[in-house]
Amino acid sequence: MATTIEQSEKTKAEPELIGLLAEFDDPQALIDASMKVRDAGYRNWDTHTPFPLHGIDEAMGIKFTILPWIVAACGLTGGTIAVGMQYWMNAVDYPFMISGKPLFSLPACIPIIFELSVLLAAFGAFFGMLGLNQLPKLYNPLFKSDAFRRVTNDRFFISMDASDAKFSEIDSGEFLNSLNPISVEECWSDVSSPKLPRNLVLGLSLVGVIMLLPPALVAYKRSTTTNTPRIHIIPDMDFQPSLKAQNTTNLFPDGREIRPSIKGAIPRGQFKDDNIPFYYGLKELPEDRDVVGIALQDEKKADAKKADAKKPVEAKAADAKPAAGKPAVVDAAAEAAKKLDKLPWVTEFPMPVTEKMMARGKERFRIYCSVCHGLSGDGDGLVSLRAMELLQGTWVKPASYHTDNVRKQPVGRLFNTISNGVRKMPGYSAQIPPEDRWAIVLYLRALQKSRYTDANTLKDDEKSKLRDTK
Amino acid sequence: MASVTTKPIDTTTIEVPGQRAPLVLGSPDYGTVTESVCRLAESKTPMSFYVALGISASLMGMLFGLIGYLIITGVGVWGNRSPVFWGWPIVNFVFWVGIGHAGTLISAILFLFRQNWRTGINRAAEAMTIFAVICAGVFPGIHIGRVWLAYWLFPIPNQMEMWPNFRSPLLWDVFAVSTYATVSLLFWYMGMIPDLATLRDRATGKIQQFAYGLFSLGWNGSSRHWHRYERAYLLLAALAAPLVLSVHTIVSFDFAVSQLPGWHTTIFPPYFVAGAVFSGFAMVLTLMIPARSICGIEDLLTDRHLENMTKVIIATGSMVGYAYAMEFFVAWYSGNRYETFAFINRAFGPYAWAYWIMVSCNVISPQLFWIKKIRTTPWMIFVVCIFVNIGMWFERFVITVTSLSRDFLPSSWGYFKPTIVDVLMLIGSFGLFLTLFLLFCKFLPMVAMAEVKSVMPRPGGQGDH
Repeated sequence: MATTIEQSEKTKAEPELIGLLAEFDDPQALIDASMKVRDAGYRNWDTHTPFPLHGIDEAMGIKFTILPWIVAACGLTGGTIAVGMQYWMNAVDYPFMISGKPLFSLPACIPIIFELSVLLAAFGAFFGMLGLNQLPKLYNPLFKSDAFRRVTNDRFFISMDASDAKFSEIDSGEFLNSLNPISVEECWSDVSSPKLPRNLVLGLSLVGVIMLLPPALVAYKRSTTTNTPRIHIIPDMDFQPSLKAQNTTNLFPDGREIRPSIKGAIPRGQFKDDNIPFYYGLKELPEDRDVVGIALQDEKKADAKKADAKKPVEAKAADAKPAAGKPAVVDAAAEAAKKLDKLPWVTEFPMPVTEKMMARGKERFRIYCSVCHGLSGDGDGLVSLRAMELLQGTWVKPASYHTDNVRKQPVGRLFNTISNGVRKMPGYSAQIPPEDRWAIVLYLRALQKSRYTDANTLKDDEKSKLRDTK
Repeated sequence: MASVTTKPIDTTTIEVPGQRAPLVLGSPDYGTVTESVCRLAESKTPMSFYVALGISASLMGMLFGLIGYLIITGVGVWGNRSPVFWGWPIVNFVFWVGIGHAGTLISAILFLFRQNWRTGINRAAEAMTIFAVICAGVFPGIHIGRVWLAYWLFPIPNQMEMWPNFRSPLLWDVFAVSTYATVSLLFWYMGMIPDLATLRDRATGKIQQFAYGLFSLGWNGSSRHWHRYERAYLLLAALAAPLVLSVHTIVSFDFAVSQLPGWHTTIFPPYFVAGAVFSGFAMVLTLMIPARSICGIEDLLTDRHLENMTKVIIATGSMVGYAYAMEFFVAWYSGNRYETFAFINRAFGPYAWAYWIMVSCNVISPQLFWIKKIRTTPWMIFVVCIFVNIGMWFERFVITVTSLSRDFLPSSWGYFKPTIVDVLMLIGSFGLFLTLFLLFCKFLPMVAMAEVKSVMPRPGGQGDH
């Protein structure tokens, strides 16, 4: 109800005279008239022209604008921001070291100093002009005059504001008439309600609320946690049509995406046949070189058989291909071990044994072997202890190094066991390079030796080390 | 010139020493100027406009479609391959930025030199600048591959806590082109405010009244406003003048600061600026010669304007020719065998065809303007300008591709082949440019009415600007 009362009050309000408007059709006449208005002592008045009229500034007594100072200040601000930004960003917050040059050098900053100075100065000129002119001001009482529409075409006007101290409706009207205008008209204030139409307000509010929804949703999502994967608007290159290792495909007859290596192909860095003792632990390769590396328990074979039986026929056939080159898996572990026993293992290290190699072997042993075999090689590593505690039925206790069987094995045989595994133990050739495997064998030998050596046979300095508590 | 009114109407468009040809033909009257400019926006739109708009808008649509295809598929749809990773997208970028130089040059530098003849062409030339810079901005934007990361170009705080490298000319380029686009837009819009007010005051339809009313910001022609407006315009001109020279200088740094033979030369900045003005003026003429007769504004855009512009083309075309010669001289004089090879390869290698198209279009064709007959016949100017446009595109192609295709390792040398997407995108960028230009011609004041009025002889003969 309050609004309606206000509205009715507004509409009842009488329009007030807010000024006079004199129209001229000649620029020179306007300049001549302007001088007279100026000399008559009016202050709140203006002239309106379709183009910048030269000579009108003097005729009206317009003071020179302060705009150039605003522009200069903006330009300096731009340049300062540019220097500060480049210094802080590239020399302080995220130092950019390029070819050992200084973090900050002024010459390289010049282009951006220039550009930002010009940019801000241009903003200063444009927005400064608008600000000083109090634009944009979409409504102006002068626009109610039909004659005034030609101010942007070919007519020239003097407008006199009723707020001027010297203004009086009759005197000022007569004065303007004496300047020989085409016409003089009165300007009245607008008494219509300044309120926006209700539907427009509602519509705009609705649009505003709808526009707030997306940012609100984003803010909500950013400030809460969820179990679902994050929303992936732009997936970059996360999803690619390339084939992956463990998937199936129709592209190849065997249905696998991963491709087995071609028989007889030697990958780069894997040529070993020029140093058989070093890479295989053998004096020479046996005819059936695949014998090396099958000392796995027969249960593994049984597992594989079970899995094979479950697979459809095509897959089985497909699997057969890559496996074709492999030897028939030997039935019993013992039989495999027997086969291995017959091979010509090297009994000496195929490289000079050094202190450094021993240290390396100890370090690698502790990383790779001790978790199962224990730090002293008794087969009591933490993994093994835990497996026993959990009563894992399939767990095979790691061998102790100190059994006669292991102690008798030549170094080449130990090297082969590390490389290719035995029983439950997998081969470590992929993780440990051959020189490190030899170093581990060396350390393993040292562990074995430590069990069966009489302390009295040691040299004096070694004995003193044993006494040392540190 | 105190007796303008008593003289018969002056229709001379060719200047003789000692007497200036008038800037506006016909009876000089403020009302007729307004009438002839506003008629375009107010009269019924001819069918030919819709046909032209339809064609160029379809080409523009094709460009946007191809950009979508590019974003979804990746930059492999272009011909950019090792060793030429800067193919047509960068060529097109430099080409369009160059064209975007004429408008602000005409507006700013000719304004500072008090060349009043600029008033007839400056508005259209500035509009052309903006549209050319828009076309130019498209190409580096999509050339970065992952378009949604384009904000990495700007020093915006981000989750990586990294800042761009301010010693890279490519970053300077981002600042130069975006500043240039912004300042050109302000300059163009500010110049248009009084003319938009004219359209507002003449508009009859509700939508036109609202739109022109909104964008004219309530301009009422107050002399106090004009005083600050003129000062602001002068300041903007003074700011834009060095800016326009800096933009192509910095674009040339993209090349000159690298170590590639054929790019690493100190002549690049002035040579690029001259080339940019050259191509920009040629493009203004290419557009304005048909536009002025279609729109019927030959009285405001007279043969004198065209002739003056052809003279600028002779000057800048000769500078470009000089730069071509100087590049060869320096390549030989430096004694640097790689530099020498780069230039011999340019002129006589696998891209010789492109090089000689460039030389004949850019060096030989503008020299035809020494002949007065060609300089004063619009269709002949048009033909020569078309050749200049072609030549300037090839200049950027020759610079970019010949140097890159001969990499440091001869084993990686290659020959650049554009794909159909490259070609269609170039054509599509013309569609974007022409669509914007046609919309401008239809809806905005094509000639700066207020400025033309201010340089017309005043009725009564007092004062002549």
